[in-house]
Amino acid sequence: MKIEILKNVLEVNDNLANDIREKSDKSKTLVLNMMSSPGSGKTSILEKLLPKLLFNGIKTGIIEGDITTTRDADRIIGNEIPVVQINTEKFGGDCHLGSEVVKPALDQLHYEKLDLVIIENVGNLVCPAEFDTGADKNIVVISVTEGEDKPLKYPLMFRVCELSVINKVDLLPFLNFDMEQLTANIRQINPNMEIIKISAQTDENVDALLKWIQNNLKN
Amino acid sequence: MHELSIAQNIAKIVHQEYLKGNFQSDIQVVHFSAGRMNAIIPESLLLNFNIVKRNYNEMKQAELIIAEKEIIIKCNVCLREYVIQEPVFYCQNCGSSNISILQGKEMYVEDFEL
Repeated sequence: MKIEILKNVLEVNDNLANDIREKSDKSKTLVLNMMSSPGSGKTSILEKLLPKLLFNGIKTGIIEGDITTTRDADRIIGNEIPVVQINTEKFGGDCHLGSEVVKPALDQLHYEKLDLVIIENVGNLVCPAEFDTGADKNIVVISVTEGEDKPLKYPLMFRVCELSVINKVDLLPFLNFDMEQLTANIRQINPNMEIIKISAQTDENVDALLKWIQNNLKN
Repeated sequence: MHELSIAQNIAKIVHQEYLKGNFQSDIQVVHFSAGRMNAIIPESLLLNFNIVKRNYNEMKQAELIIAEKEIIIKCNVCLREYVIQEPVFYCQNCGSSNISILQGKEMYVEDFEL
C-alpha cells in the first residue's frame, strides 16, 4: 500500500523563518545572515564593522554560530554590542543554523528593540544556503585566497545571496588571482548580485559595506 | 553534512503521517526527491537515514529511495524553459538574467509504502 505525502522537507524551518521576518518587519529590525567558507574573515569583518555601527548610532546585536567553542563571540564581545552564541553541538553538531535555533537567539537579543541583527552563520558554503534563517538578506563572504571558481562549485549559496563581499583584497599583489574571472563567475550564477571588495585587515572599503547596511535599514 | 538534518526531517514527517493513518503494518519504502541545486550526497543521506530510522518502530525496516530532480529554469522575457546541466543562470536564447528556477531546489518526502 502506498501513502502519498508530498511534503517539503524544510517546511517547518521555512514557516518559522517567515514568522521571524513578519516580526522583524513590524519592529523595523534588519536581520542579515552572513555566510562563507571557514576562514574567509566573517569575524574579522564584524570586528571592523561593529565600531562603525556603534559610531553611527545603529543599535546592533550579533548572533554567532559555531559548531563548538565560543572563540568568535569572545573576539566580538569587547565591543559593547550584545552577542548571543549558538553552539550547534547540542543539536547534533549541525553545519548550519536553522530557524529553530535562530529564533530563541533573536528573542534573547530582544531584537525588536534593535535596528540591526547580524547572524554569523557556521563556516560552510553548502548547508547554510539550504536553511532559511529568517534573515531579510543573505550575504556571502568570499576571500581572494579561495580561488575564482567557488561560485560555480557552490551555486545555491550564490543564488540565495544578494551581496557578495570579496575580502582580503590587500593580498592581491601576492596572489595569482583573477578578480574579473571571480566577478564573472558570480554574475553567471546570480546576475543581480551586488559586489563589494574589502580588506578587513586594512579596513579598506569597509565603509562601503557600512553604507550598504545603512541603505538597507528598515527605519 | 546537512544530510543529518534532512534525514531527521524526513523521518519526522513520515512518522507524523504514519500516526495519522492508524496503520497496522510497518513501512517498507520511503520515497524522497531532491533537486540538484541542493547538493545532497545520496550515500551520506542514506547512512544518516539508516541511523535516524531506528528511533521509530514502524520505520526500522524502511528503505529510503532518493530521486534526483533536474534543474529547470524559465526565462521571464522570452518564456522559454530549459533543463540546465551547468549552473548558468542566464537565458540561453535571449540572454536575459530575468529567470525563475522552476525545479531543482526543492526537497520532498513523496510517499511511503507499507
